[in-house]
Amino acid sequence: MTGLDLRRPGDPGSTLTLAHGRGRLLRVLSTTLVASWFLLPFAPLALWAFANQWSFPSTLPTEWGFDGLSSAIAQGALPALGTSLLLSLVVAALATPLGALAARALTFGTVPWPRTVSIALLAPIALPPFAAVLGLNVLLLRAHIPPEAGLVLVLVVMAVPYTTFTMRVAYAAHDIHYEEEARTLGASRWNILWRVHIPLVAPALSRAAFLAFLVGWSDYVVTVVVGGGEVVTLPLVTASMAAGIGNDSAVAILSLSAIVPPLALLALAGFAGRRPRTGAVQKTPNVGERP
Amino acid sequence: MLVGLGAVVSLTLGACAAPAPDGARSEFADWNDVIRAAQGQTVKLWMYGGDTQGNAYIDDVLAPAVAAEGVTLERVPVTDTSDALNRVLSELQAGRTDDGTVDLVWVNGDNFRTGKEAGAWLCDWTNLMPNLALTAPDDPLLLKDFGTPVDGCEAPWNKAQFTFVYNSDVIADPPTTLAGVLAWAEAHPGRFSYPAPPDFTGSVFTREVLYSVSGGYENVPATFDQDAYDQLTPKLFERLRDLAPSLWRAGSTYPANEQELNQLYADRQIDLTMTYGPATLTDLVASGTYPPGTKVLSLEEGTVGNASFLSIPANAASSAGAMVVANVALSAGQQLAKAHPATWGQFTVLDPNELTPDDRARFDALPSSPVVPSYDVLSRSANPELAAAWVPVLDEGWRTTVLAGR
Repeated sequence: MTGLDLRRPGDPGSTLTLAHGRGRLLRVLSTTLVASWFLLPFAPLALWAFANQWSFPSTLPTEWGFDGLSSAIAQGALPALGTSLLLSLVVAALATPLGALAARALTFGTVPWPRTVSIALLAPIALPPFAAVLGLNVLLLRAHIPPEAGLVLVLVVMAVPYTTFTMRVAYAAHDIHYEEEARTLGASRWNILWRVHIPLVAPALSRAAFLAFLVGWSDYVVTVVVGGGEVVTLPLVTASMAAGIGNDSAVAILSLSAIVPPLALLALAGFAGRRPRTGAVQKTPNVGERP
Repeated sequence: MLVGLGAVVSLTLGACAAPAPDGARSEFADWNDVIRAAQGQTVKLWMYGGDTQGNAYIDDVLAPAVAAEGVTLERVPVTDTSDALNRVLSELQAGRTDDGTVDLVWVNGDNFRTGKEAGAWLCDWTNLMPNLALTAPDDPLLLKDFGTPVDGCEAPWNKAQFTFVYNSDVIADPPTTLAGVLAWAEAHPGRFSYPAPPDFTGSVFTREVLYSVSGGYENVPATFDQDAYDQLTPKLFERLRDLAPSLWRAGSTYPANEQELNQLYADRQIDLTMTYGPATLTDLVASGTYPPGTKVLSLEEGTVGNASFLSIPANAASSAGAMVVANVALSAGQQLAKAHPATWGQFTVLDPNELTPDDRARFDALPSSPVVPSYDVLSRSANPELAAAWVPVLDEGWRTTVLAGR
């Protein structure tokens, strides 16, 4: 600046900045490519959703409109959407704390034979759901478990492996000393749980809950076999519509509306995942001050 | 054999709660009993959900009509009727014999036979329904369902006719026989195909060709006979092998099912297609899915026809309510509404001679569809279906000769 030929990394013209710029370009380019790789399949879906007519040789719909939307609503898309949301939220609400409990016990060594227990918890992912569910359904029926309860039970069991392993990663990096310190300072168990423990694992909890939500949200086989027609979710309506001819636009609307809630939750989880990290650490020191 | 035994058991037992091998028996003495038991019941009707007109008919026309009788009707959409049957079989396997979740199923053919063999259907209840008197007692389509005796285990609902469909804007001079259809396909390579058996529609098509190359259905014995098979099928498979290079994509691949075939037709990739559900054609043309020039192709030798039914599982929780629904669905008013091309266009199972003059006049006054001719025309010289035993052998023969020989 003052005549001295001193260059700092990051100054314009620095070789470091140059490399950084090139890397940035590459990063932006690869991100765009990956994003379009994911987004491209949605292009025909988005077109079909508002195509009243679209025959083979035309590259674009020949007639635009909302026939698909009204047909999807007439086929019961709205109540099915509500049922799907409720089911998935219930599954997430049950599977997330269960997974967290299992993961904490496994990480801090309070479980005998942790390896065997881990494998047992992972087993539901390894089993082909159709075969497992058909056999399981007879068992549930024999035990006179109502279809709704049976459905939630099976889906929670299918979601627990995901929540457990997400939470295990979180607990592996979890510093239990924060909790010990809070206890030394006289915090109650309840206070430690709510003001130290949960804020510290909140990002992982939201990730786990999101995965559990997806298990309920995307399920078809368990809902149709165990649900016994009592629970008509969005995948059921979509699949039965897709089995017919001329329903493409309604199926596109149904598929698109199936993408929106998980995306919204993902954004919410990303948002929630950022906040507590700073909040928790700042709050920790004054935990003990409160009775 | 099993069926004969079932009839004897039904005479001696009357009511039977546990599913005997021949299915459970209805325990109602008369229709008033049924009406009384049905009050306040909710009936879950499991049916194929891919037909939007059919769904709308159930929700907007049939459900309000049965609500007036004190029964709530709820539709459960499934991708395949076998989903409903599997549910019933699982429940029966688990010993849940009187509180099943499936009350009524739209069924016919293979699913009905499988369920009947497993004792999954409630039997001997259809003659309780007052409206059964509106059907002809000797109607062969209502006495046997693809060769399986109905035996009061399902209530008639719709009639259907296997139908060839063509685009009259492309084919000005359509063929009039099945042999003509095949010749047309060879003259216009790539514009025709059929689903690969054992798909239901592809299988029916193969049997139609068997009738055609054998000189008519009269020459094919209805019950399976190995000698007849050995004698008749070489001609059938030779004809289909010769046809293969002229099919869509030169026969290198076949549509997997009727839906894929009809998608090709909707996309104008082929000009001639086939369906066992001509009821949906009017709507598919009106909505622009099918070409506006779509017409039904009438064959001189006729095609096979069938009926579809409403069946009550042996363990249905609301069996009385389900009977009320089946009876309302069979009423002249509902059959008439359902037959209207703008509502659903399903052909009635009722016999015109059993109707009141007023009702008959209403059926006669139904607007004709611009696409589908009336059932009388469509079912003229209707061919009988072959017994179920023919089907797997023909499908296997097709796979080993036609598909392997391409």
